Amino acid sequence: MLLKTKESLIRRMYLVDVAKGLAITIKNFFFAPKITIQYPEERRKYSDRFRGQHYIKATNGVENCTACMLCPTVCPAECIHIVAGERPDKEKYPVQFEIDILRCCFCGMCEEACPKDAIKLSTIYEMSTESRDVYDRSFLMEQRGNK
Amino acid sequence: MPKCVIDGREVEFSPGENLIEVAKKVGVEIPYFCYHPGLSVVAQCRMCAVEVEKMPKLQTACSTVATDGMVVKTRSERALANQKSVMEFLLINHPLDCPICDQAGECDLQDYSYEYGSPYSRYTEERRTFLDLDMGPVIVKNMNRCIHCTRCIRLGAEVLGIREMVATQRGNKTEIATIDGRPLETDYAGNYADICPVGSLLLKDFRFKKRVWFLKKTATVCEGCARGCNMDIQHDANVIYRCTPRENLEVNQYWLCDEGRFNFHYVHDADRIMEPAVRADGELKMTEFGASLDAARAALKGKKAAVLLGTDLTQEEAKLLQEFLPKYLPNASVFHFGTPGIVSEADDAPADKILKRKSKTSNLHGFEKLGFKGLKTLPTGLDAALVIRGGRATLPELKGLSTVGIGVFTREEAATFSVVLPGLTFAEKDGTIVNFQGREQHIRRAIFPAGNCKALSEILAMWAHGTGGNA
Ligand code: SF4
Ligand code: SF4
Ligand code: SF4
Ligand code: SF4
Ligand code: FES
Repeated sequence: MLLKTKESLIRRMYLVDVAKGLAITIKNFFFAPKITIQYPEERRKYSDRFRGQHYIKATNGVENCTACMLCPTVCPAECIHIVAGERPDKEKYPVQFEIDILRCCFCGMCEEACPKDAIKLSTIYEMSTESRDVYDRSFLMEQRGNK
Repeated sequence: MPKCVIDGREVEFSPGENLIEVAKKVGVEIPYFCYHPGLSVVAQCRMCAVEVEKMPKLQTACSTVATDGMVVKTRSERALANQKSVMEFLLINHPLDCPICDQAGECDLQDYSYEYGSPYSRYTEERRTFLDLDMGPVIVKNMNRCIHCTRCIRLGAEVLGIREMVATQRGNKTEIATIDGRPLETDYAGNYADICPVGSLLLKDFRFKKRVWFLKKTATVCEGCARGCNMDIQHDANVIYRCTPRENLEVNQYWLCDEGRFNFHYVHDADRIMEPAVRADGELKMTEFGASLDAARAALKGKKAAVLLGTDLTQEEAKLLQEFLPKYLPNASVFHFGTPGIVSEADDAPADKILKRKSKTSNLHGFEKLGFKGLKTLPTGLDAALVIRGGRATLPELKGLSTVGIGVFTREEAATFSVVLPGLTFAEKDGTIVNFQGREQHIRRAIFPAGNCKALSEILAMWAHGTGGNA
């Protein structure tokens, strides 16, 4: 059985409710603090622990990495490829060091596994490119990080 | 059988077994460094000390023979305290080299320091360091990592029959070296790297190539000579990195010679022919199986041909050829070949006092068993030859003959061949070989065939059906 209720005309036109809703919109539009930032003019400061673009830390111009292969071992995306070699000033060093960055999931486990404080994830997050780049040794050796 | 009790578990043992071996039977691990089942017992490292009831002092398990009714505690308070002290003592001078040490991952010292050691060092004095002299082409030495177990010295003296490793100086300054810093002379130097429990003696050939935990092992048999030493091929992503001996007390005990250990390199040789090839204008040109099979049939048709079978082929392949050849090449004379000067199994004798045999191919005895005749000299009046081999057998002089090769050849070896059909190496196929004792052993496929190489059975099937397959 259908129940029939009788509401007043004003109520049936929702005028009061519409006005109330509009008041909230206006209040937020003009008076609430703004959350959107005007990227790229304005940039957000991320935490120092943000996990962004990789780099290999160097000390006095020599890479810290000793090609121990712990980062490729731990990497869940299997995106780190290292070839080890020997040179007069360093018993073991990475001849090749490549990160297939498109496969990387930025878990930061490589940084955590590294016994030499070599592989680092910087706070750089602007990494989009037009080609499918693989980071190679010379790219990773640029000290663009801040850690 | 007599019984003893180890950590509350009763074990039967045969008289003469030491406590380490007896404990292994019930899954109790007693840590040890200087003991090796293939060497004499010196009880030097003291790591294996355990408590034996009714004995006032700890006993070293490697030098204590189990007796009936013996009660042994391997994890008593005193035994644990001893293990901890020995570990600390060994580690005071040990460098933190694991990240660059090839032994890491299969290092007894590394494993035991997780299990029995302490994560902290109390040592603040300077660590002992050495300058290492070169040891020849096989072994690279790093004395900083040595724990003075003397396994290497005993291996040379007791197994390899050459006293080339010695300990100089004493105590903390002890250094293991060759006499006067000479390079190692033995043909079995790779075993030094196997038995060294730490990263002091390592293979030059394997240096920095791969971390050991990435390697997969395939249990197979060496094809270097008629002994057929049991070994593991260690590989990753279809590349072989090294071969290590596998224990078999009746064939090779725990050892492997260098020739067999490094024999695998020809599998990945850049010069190996991996596509079917036919000679045109004096040069071998890559083609397809269809065209090269046609060329092979044409090269042998109506000719007076010899069929030469390398004794590096398996029994299965030999048997297959025994059925194939009378049908498809009925007029050809068939011989086996392998090592210059070794024609029949009677010629195969020990080449040294350790493992090596004179026949440098693995299946000479299998071929003889199947009734094939050895090649002394090629019959006269031949004008063609079909050579089938695995990659190890030494090719006889074949100049002036129109030659078809099936199997593994380098470009250089095939310089006079008119057709090459690429086959498989021992690492790419399964099969049986018979060693000098008449023991049938199995070789197993470790990696997938390189390039367009095909199994002999496939090639013969295509030959028989007059097709080129679809390749
Ligand atoms: S951040 Fe994670 S996925 Fe990316 S390279 Fe490091 S370990 Fe691999
Ligand atoms: S873990 Fe560190 S030292 Fe080891 S290979 Fe990776 S970056 Fe190099
Ligand atoms: S010998 Fe063992 S413990 Fe020593 S550096 Fe090598 S892997 Fe590490
Ligand atoms: S070099 Fe290796 S095998 Fe030889 S004494 Fe030292 S640790 Fe033992
Ligand atoms: S293994 Fe027993 S003392 Fe070294």
